[in-house]
Amino acid sequence: MIENRPWLTGFSHLVLVLGVLVVALPVWVAIVASTHPANAFGVGHIPLWFGDQAFANWHQVLIGKEGQASQMLRMTLNSLIMALGITFGKIAISLLSAYAIVFFRFPFRGLAFWVIFFTLMLPVEVRIVPTYEVVANLNLLNSYTGLTLPLIASATATFLFRQCFMSIPGELVEAARIDGAGPIRFFFDILLPMSRTNIAALFVILFIYGWNQYLWPLIVTTDDAYYTLVMSVKRMLSVPDGDIEWNKVMVSTLLAMIPPVLVVIGMQKLFVKGLVDAEK
Amino acid sequence: MSDLVLRNIGKTYDNGYQAIPSIDLTIEEGEFIVLVGPSGCGKSTLLRMVAGLESISQGDLLIKGDQVNNKEPAERDIAMVFQNYALYPHMSVYDNMAYGLKNRGEPKSEIETKVNAVAQMLGLEELLTRKPRQLSGGQRQRVAMGRAMVRDPKVFLFDEPLSNLDAKLRVQMRVEIRELQRKLGTTTLYVTHDQVEAMTLADRLVVLNKGHAEQVGTPMALYERPASTFVAQFIGSPSMNLIPSTIENGVLQLGVDSQLACPQFSTDKVMWGIRPEHVDIVPLQDADLSLQVKAVEALGAETLIHGSVKTSEDKLYPFVVRLSGNHAPDIGQPIGIRVPQQAWHVFDVVTTKRIEPL
Repeated sequence: MIENRPWLTGFSHLVLVLGVLVVALPVWVAIVASTHPANAFGVGHIPLWFGDQAFANWHQVLIGKEGQASQMLRMTLNSLIMALGITFGKIAISLLSAYAIVFFRFPFRGLAFWVIFFTLMLPVEVRIVPTYEVVANLNLLNSYTGLTLPLIASATATFLFRQCFMSIPGELVEAARIDGAGPIRFFFDILLPMSRTNIAALFVILFIYGWNQYLWPLIVTTDDAYYTLVMSVKRMLSVPDGDIEWNKVMVSTLLAMIPPVLVVIGMQKLFVKGLVDAEK
Repeated sequence: MSDLVLRNIGKTYDNGYQAIPSIDLTIEEGEFIVLVGPSGCGKSTLLRMVAGLESISQGDLLIKGDQVNNKEPAERDIAMVFQNYALYPHMSVYDNMAYGLKNRGEPKSEIETKVNAVAQMLGLEELLTRKPRQLSGGQRQRVAMGRAMVRDPKVFLFDEPLSNLDAKLRVQMRVEIRELQRKLGTTTLYVTHDQVEAMTLADRLVVLNKGHAEQVGTPMALYERPASTFVAQFIGSPSMNLIPSTIENGVLQLGVDSQLACPQFSTDKVMWGIRPEHVDIVPLQDADLSLQVKAVEALGAETLIHGSVKTSEDKLYPFVVRLSGNHAPDIGQPIGIRVPQQAWHVFDVVTTKRIEPL
């Protein structure tokens, strides 16, 4: 909409600025809180400006107190392995299943499509008990496979690729056939490069999805060695005597927020391109 | 030796629809064959069957004597140029042309030599590193042709390659395709719905109608002696004037007041035709037929006069006269026209087939 009304422009900006404030305030509070001593939150008012404990807090969370090494690095690594595992696993499976559904004629192709479609209705939260049972029976509790595998199976990415593949003109497929490209060559030489931007967009979405997983890691891991960063925030809140160290919680929260932010900022251009226009 | 032989080729789809009942065609080496017909006549289906993109329901397809019915497109040694070019959008012009050779496992140095040679022939040297989206329509068309030529196939297949270009470029590319084909001497099968393209390019034309080959022959043979009313109307622009009439006792009853002697035809109900360019304008009193003028299209070099002829059954039939130079008859007035007998085409009303004079 192109209009030239000064008051409207002013109003639009006001709405946007308010929106930014609403979203940014909690983040700001988290940053500020991570620089205060542990009891600053308990005394009744929330500080809105930096305190003097920034270095001590961050040092304690990242490196650990004397005699007690921090688990932070370990948990960050776990989170990263889980997020990347889910992301690449999903992309690989979705690419293959979408390829099969769009380009191959096989019996029960329609049925396969609808079964995949059906899984949209069954996210992990819904099937969490049976899924836990399966994972437990397979002896996958407390393992990276157990963390990632149940989250990899999903239909959303398959659908995105299906739409992307269906927009590829039939002549292109035929030209490749005449050029002597078999199914595997066609997939790697033509389909994959052509869906590059879609893959990038999906990478962003899935990485954040994987990174933010909370419920599933909470249930499937009981060993410290497999705890993830997002889980740890919750665990810091449930201390026995109610003396919550808010400053450290906020440091962990901020740490947990950084990787998704980096991914979004780093892949912003590809992300938009992948969702908006296809290079065809 | 014949390069490409279609023997009793037919296509029936799974749902029972018979797109092509049966076609026989023998194409000699180096021939330029154009398949022409209105949309839905099966010409693209036929081409795709030769390419191997569509299965063959019946008959034999022979390329250089080998039966290739069940061979994959890549094994048939053909190359195809598509209407929308079908270039790989993520590959450079060079890679687009080299892809087929790469897949055949040819050595890199050889690929480079071949691609460069073809690029030079088509004037694409400057564009080799560009992506298809950075090219104009004509350049893309050229790359698509280059991709076909690089492989040095036994047969070229063109599927309406010029229909996405603007009129001027189309004429230019038409000439270029013809020249290249002559130079390379590769057998070519070319599909188009444009009869001008068909006439100018073809060594031999195949006019298709509902999956049947109505007539096969040189462009001039088809123009001068169309085998049916379908071919008569399809070849030539504006198309042939056709008027149903009767021949009785050696007299053709054409218009209300027009009876022309034609002893060389036997008594019959016929479809009488004459091409717009073979009609002359004469004073009314000397005319064979009078024409009610409805519209005049002056094109500079020539003038098209659209009108109608009233037959003895009191029906009006549209009639076009094509004259060179500039003429300006009054609209709404009758003019006299002469239809020389050597330019007549006479067809059977029922079978629509041509009737030769006795």
